[in-house]
Amino acid sequence: MATADLNPGVITPSAPPGNGLLVLLAAMTPEQLDSVFAKLTVSFPGEELLIATPDAISEALPASAHPSFRIVAAPASNTAWTLIATDFVNAYQLAEKHEARAILVLGSESGSLSSFALRQLANAALGPTDLAVPCYDLPPHAGLVNSAILYPLTRALFASRVRFPLAVDLGFSLRMAKRLADAAQHFTAINQGETPLWPVNEATEAGFTIEQFDVGSHVQSSRPDFNTIFPLVIASLFSDIKAKAAFWQRFRPLSPASIAIPMPPAPTIDTAADIAPMLSAFRLAYSNLHEIWSHVLSPNSLLMLKRLAATDAAAFRLSDNLWARIVYDFLLAYRLRTINRGHLLGALIPLYLAWVASHFNITASGANPEGHIEAVAAAFETEKTYMVSRWRWPDRFNP
Amino acid sequence: MQNILAVLLQLDPNQSSRSLFAGDTSIWHNMADALHQSLDRVLLLLIAVLPGILAFLVALAVFTLIGMAVSALLRRGLAAAKLDERLVDERGNSNWAPSTSPTALIARASFWGCVLLGLIIGVLAFDASYATTAILSSSLLPYLTRIVGAAVLLIAGTLIARFLARSVLIGAVNEQLQYARFLSLGIKWLVLVLTAAMVLEHLEIGGNIVGLAFGILFGGIVLTLALAVGLGSRDLVSRSLESRAEHPGQSSAPPPTAIADDSIRHF
Repeated sequence: MATADLNPGVITPSAPPGNGLLVLLAAMTPEQLDSVFAKLTVSFPGEELLIATPDAISEALPASAHPSFRIVAAPASNTAWTLIATDFVNAYQLAEKHEARAILVLGSESGSLSSFALRQLANAALGPTDLAVPCYDLPPHAGLVNSAILYPLTRALFASRVRFPLAVDLGFSLRMAKRLADAAQHFTAINQGETPLWPVNEATEAGFTIEQFDVGSHVQSSRPDFNTIFPLVIASLFSDIKAKAAFWQRFRPLSPASIAIPMPPAPTIDTAADIAPMLSAFRLAYSNLHEIWSHVLSPNSLLMLKRLAATDAAAFRLSDNLWARIVYDFLLAYRLRTINRGHLLGALIPLYLAWVASHFNITASGANPEGHIEAVAAAFETEKTYMVSRWRWPDRFNP
Repeated sequence: MQNILAVLLQLDPNQSSRSLFAGDTSIWHNMADALHQSLDRVLLLLIAVLPGILAFLVALAVFTLIGMAVSALLRRGLAAAKLDERLVDERGNSNWAPSTSPTALIARASFWGCVLLGLIIGVLAFDASYATTAILSSSLLPYLTRIVGAAVLLIAGTLIARFLARSVLIGAVNEQLQYARFLSLGIKWLVLVLTAAMVLEHLEIGGNIVGLAFGILFGGIVLTLALAVGLGSRDLVSRSLESRAEHPGQSSAPPPTAIADDSIRHF
């Protein structure tokens, strides 16, 4: 991959960065770029910093404002909401070209992170840690797909406590970058470069060290299209789990908690979300998608969903174990291609909305949201034996 | 008829009754002869066809057995060569399910290839044994291929109808359309009617009636769907128009749905 100089006055020939760190930025607006540059200036005072960005450095952001930065061009990514396979290939190639020892990848909204957090991620990557991941402090009604599926599934199968497995801000060592680039090349070779990659799963499988840092609040301004992104993310995670089946089927103890996960307060009545549209979506799906669900879910799960569909909004609770089994059954159906994969993941959306409605009901009753998410993750761990049994003997094992 | 009348007028009653009996006997003889002849012809036809049918069945059975053997051998050989693992290593995270692994696909393809070969050889043997004797051979074989084509059309149409019906159903449910099932059924029947018309057209059954009936049915289904969707969303449209009339400068925002709620962030 060739990198083109953006501004000849700014770019210096490829030489190792002062501290060995390459900062790779996502595509940003000038305001976002300005904010990130300001944070990096505070994080790395007086240090020479190699920054790769796909954005053109214009007059609005003169290079003279940040004399310690060496700015090089990076290929633009088509996807802003997450890191994709192409990003990891580019990151490794840039790191090799500029002889960097570690890489700090920052998403388009990383300007909202604290300077201290950026420094922590960079220091960890430059130190003995292979993968430094952020733990965002999100509001209770944010990051719900992560809380419902990504985090519990990653924790149960890969024994990792990383709270945000699909974080867009990451720090990683050169060997981790190589590992990720190798994994990413499988996708780029078959023109699937926009597939999200799962760094935590890769690091766990490789036996690399992972460290998680509390980076504070994270402002999200973009709103990706849910109906498009949800199947894409879940399909990518399911495929990754399928590819690493030999690894996660062996029992591994859960890594000890390194940091205290920020506990957002339970939402008050004023901030509680309206669950009525979600419940109506679930009930509509129950009356229409029952036939499709019956190909995937066990009769017991279907019976419990039937009862749930008839439950009042106030008493609506999707039990954690039922949710874990639903996700596992969909994962198995994905593996076995029980039905078309696009249909399968589309049929999961109403069930996910039922989980969200149930989660909101539980938190509205005074329970801490993070406490409930931890309970869901624990249920996934409990049900892992069911998952492993069905994975090994899909025809013989009938619940 | 004139001969019979002449005989009746010229002969006395005793003679006439005997002649009539004799004539009756000859009619029965003629009928029996005709029946015997047609039976002989059918038997001859069957005798002519039977070797062809037997050849067809034997060819099909033999090649099916060969296919099973080849498939089993390939399955074992490729499993021993670890083809699946090698392909996964080379191609990365491919989407092979256990039922559609490369080994299973190759084995299955070889089996069905042998069956198809047996079918072709059987049909050719049937043709060879049958062609010399009958007029039907020139029309039966092309029609057989038409039947096969029609069967393929029917299977493909049914699969496409099912796939589209499910896609529409899931998409409509996720868009929270109350008439999701109705829409899905409409799409399914549209494709099935189209398939049925194509199959009948391919088999040359019905002629223009099929096209006419298809046009009427297709148009009827589209009209029904349009009416149902139009009537179903009448309130929505009137509400939208009312709000536009009350606030002409503002664009009417849709009510929050399960997914597009501003207070919730799924990612």
